[in-house]
Amino acid sequence: MGEQKSDVLQGTLDLMVLKTLESMGPLHGYGIARRIEQVSGNSLSLNQGTIYPALLRLEQRGWIKSEWGTSETNRRAKFYSLSRAGRKQIEHETENWERIAATMARFLAPSS
Amino acid sequence: MGVLRVLLSRCRALFRSRNLDADLDAELRAHIELAMADNQRNGMSAEQARTAALRAFGGVTQTRETYRVQRGLPWLEQIARDVRFALRQLRRSPGFTLTAMLTLALGIGAVTSVFSVVHAVLLKPFAFRDPDRLVVLREAVDEAGAERIAIPDNYRHFLRLRNTATTIEDAAIFAQSGASVSPNGDHPHIVGAVVASPNLFRLLGVQPLLGRGFLDSDAQKGAAEVVVLSYDSWQTFFAGDPKAVGQTLRIDGQRATVIGVLPPGMQFPQIPLAPKTAFQETARDARLFEPAVPSERDLTTDMGGFNYKVIARLKPGVTMARASAELDALQKAYTLSAHLPLHLGIALTPLTEDVASGISGALWLLFAAVGAVLLIACVNLANLQLARAVNAEREIAVRAALGASRIQLVSSRFTESLVLALTGGAAGAVLAFAGVRLLLSLVPANVPRLDEVHLSTPVLLFAAGISMVAAVTFGILPALRGLRVNPQSALRANSMRAANSRQSSRARNLMVAAQLACTIVLLIVTSLALRSFSHLLRQNRGFNTSHITLAQTDLFEPQYDTDGSNGSALRLDFTDRALTALRQLPGVQSVALTSVAPLTGQTWVDNLIRPDHPVPTAKEPAINVRWINPEYVPTMQTPLVAGRNFTAADRANPYVALISQRTAREGFPGENPIGRTITNIVPDDTHTLPDDGHKVTVIGIVADARINGLKDNAAMVYLPYWAFPPFSLSFLVRSSGPSDALIPEMQRAIWQIDPQVAIPTFKSMDDQVSDSVATDRFQAIVLTSFGAAALLLALLGVYGVLAYSVSLRSQEFGIRIALGSGKSALVRLVLRQAAYPVLLGAGSGLAMAFVALRWVGSLLYQTPVLDPLAIGGSVVLLLAAAALAAVVPSCRAASIDPIRALRME
Repeated sequence: MGEQKSDVLQGTLDLMVLKTLESMGPLHGYGIARRIEQVSGNSLSLNQGTIYPALLRLEQRGWIKSEWGTSETNRRAKFYSLSRAGRKQIEHETENWERIAATMARFLAPSS
Repeated sequence: MGVLRVLLSRCRALFRSRNLDADLDAELRAHIELAMADNQRNGMSAEQARTAALRAFGGVTQTRETYRVQRGLPWLEQIARDVRFALRQLRRSPGFTLTAMLTLALGIGAVTSVFSVVHAVLLKPFAFRDPDRLVVLREAVDEAGAERIAIPDNYRHFLRLRNTATTIEDAAIFAQSGASVSPNGDHPHIVGAVVASPNLFRLLGVQPLLGRGFLDSDAQKGAAEVVVLSYDSWQTFFAGDPKAVGQTLRIDGQRATVIGVLPPGMQFPQIPLAPKTAFQETARDARLFEPAVPSERDLTTDMGGFNYKVIARLKPGVTMARASAELDALQKAYTLSAHLPLHLGIALTPLTEDVASGISGALWLLFAAVGAVLLIACVNLANLQLARAVNAEREIAVRAALGASRIQLVSSRFTESLVLALTGGAAGAVLAFAGVRLLLSLVPANVPRLDEVHLSTPVLLFAAGISMVAAVTFGILPALRGLRVNPQSALRANSMRAANSRQSSRARNLMVAAQLACTIVLLIVTSLALRSFSHLLRQNRGFNTSHITLAQTDLFEPQYDTDGSNGSALRLDFTDRALTALRQLPGVQSVALTSVAPLTGQTWVDNLIRPDHPVPTAKEPAINVRWINPEYVPTMQTPLVAGRNFTAADRANPYVALISQRTAREGFPGENPIGRTITNIVPDDTHTLPDDGHKVTVIGIVADARINGLKDNAAMVYLPYWAFPPFSLSFLVRSSGPSDALIPEMQRAIWQIDPQVAIPTFKSMDDQVSDSVATDRFQAIVLTSFGAAALLLALLGVYGVLAYSVSLRSQEFGIRIALGSGKSALVRLVLRQAAYPVLLGAGSGLAMAFVALRWVGSLLYQTPVLDPLAIGGSVVLLLAAAALAAVVPSCRAASIDPIRALRME
């Protein structure tokens, strides 16, 4: 799993997508992007387009699956859902993120 | 796991990219539509909704591009694009493509064919255990003031070294000879036999396929006769019967029990008795292996019986140098302590190198020559490619202006060369199948390991490698040119003028010069090889072979062997009857006898010992002994210089000798040898030379004859066969009819006397001469064809560059003509342009030749490397060819129609 562990932002986006799919169930790309914007309280400036390379990356690794379906507004759209490996990966990624966050927090804490 | 999965997914995507693109577009469209629908629900107009959706999305095109990069393998796609582009370019100029591929196919095919021989004969390790630890061990004579000479081994010395040396693991002693085998009572065949100490197979690490190898008890005196068969002879004599072990085979008239069969990969090499000197040896595949039972003499003599070869295995981690030093010191110490009259040392050579020592120089030379031909071909292609690159300058400029990176520009041009080289290489590998067969039909049959020559994996890998090297050689320069193109000026300039820039014409001239330099080196080497070969054939041999047919018979059957009985008398009887029978054949003028077939190497080598003129031991001149009949000298037309020939009257007292002029010079300096005696030369019935043996009187001197080999002018002593009837008889029949008709008659006549003698050789003496120089002829033929190819390529190279430059300058020439320039001036102009690279090439080629020739000298026979005729002839030939190549373009330059040339603009 040695690939791209340095890129924190990218890793963050991956985890956000996985977490979204975990809580919302199968969702299309637009839905995922909107959900991330809503949860972050629009404080994250996210080009919605960047979601697609991330989705492809996650699919290539086998963490999510995709299939064409019909949206709530009756449009054809590609729906993404978590795979079994993806569920496991969430735990791993969460742990990883928490560790990084904790480390960063220690750095940022006012020195006494 | 994860990495592999991503890679697989990316590879899959490569083949479905069109579908996937559509899929992505649909998904992105859906995204925008969903976003617009949301926005409209929030009260925006359709137009506003769309703008907002696109803004939130960011760049659609960038997303698509990032997505594609993430999806596929961009560098692979880039390569695929380059290859497609290259194929399109190549299709557009079929003439160039065909020429280039054909040149490369022939060049790479030739190099690969030669390499497959080089690989099998020189490079491939033997199929023994750890073959790089196996060495050939020979004794060496170290006399002060003389060159060190490696000689065969003495049995006693071998035993001592094997027991005392610490740098070697083990060593095996053996002799290689011919054995006569008659499986079902047929006429016997002679096959190669190895008589070896019982540890040979253990030393080599060879396990028998069936049965067992030798035990020490097999080599005890009086042990039952046993034999181990090679895989081939198991197939031949027992048709591959698995129950062959335990059966018997008649070898030299004795029944021997088969105890084992070797695996098919076990090819035991023919190892020369001594390097440099050719000895009469049966150069056949070793097909029978028998245990060596040392004779009493082997175990007791220090100064005779140097008849063996030894292979030793170094201990792991021991270097050649260390082993050499130890063995040499041991042997020197022994020589001193035993008060031997010779100074003996030990010389080691790696096994693979030793086996190929006779041919390696010639093969490497051919390899270098064919490599030079390929190089010349590549330079031709480089020139063509360069011209194309110049023509493509505008296109390159356009691509550079549109933002193509330098790497992309270089790689797209280089890909074209690579595509050419790889297709040419593949075709070359196919051609090499035929090439290998052609080479094998030319290679002399005595080259070792020829049966292992075929297109194996390493050979094909080599072909692939050489294709890549070729691509780099002819493709890199034109590709790099792309870098230097300045888009602005190239776009502005007329492409025709850009082509004529100083830089590119200098590059092309340099390439032609390099090509001519290689060609002249190759031409000089070729003409030296031809001079050497013609000298070898035309020098004074001291005998005349025309109308002579050779039949060699071997009396190895037990009834002719002595051991106290009347073997000598039986051999004498057979020889007399055979001579009489052959003389009575129709058309036969005379029948000569000699003990060893002519031109097969040195015979019985001994020292000339004179009772009236003692010389310290080992200082006596070495001589070759041949047993002949009185008709030998007149039949071979070797001039009698002094004294008289043998006559029938000598039969009563056969202890007389003829000596050659060299023997007279070296053995009897300043004396008249006639009437003098020599001793210690006629063996007794136990085949040893008694110290108190017969004294032999010199009765005549004959001219020196190169009867052992055309390159060998050994000192000879001829003795009448009555004195000691030899085991090997060569009948030389001079007749008026052709050999082909005579051979069956001779065979019938000999087998009428005894059907159980083997006749391994039957041919005309002219064929024997020709076979004896097979290596030199092979070298001459192959070098000549490579030299001719190089000359042709060079001619094309000079022509190509000049023709191209004339076609580019046709406008300029048109203007010159219009302004009143004479035609002869134009011809001179073009010729002058040609002269520069030709002279530069010829000059640097000569300089290169002087370096290269030092290395070639050892492959020539009595031909100085600075032979003026060879060098001068080559230079003249090259200049003539270059002039020929320059004539056509210069005439075309002179005949340009000024009006049409000016209109072309």
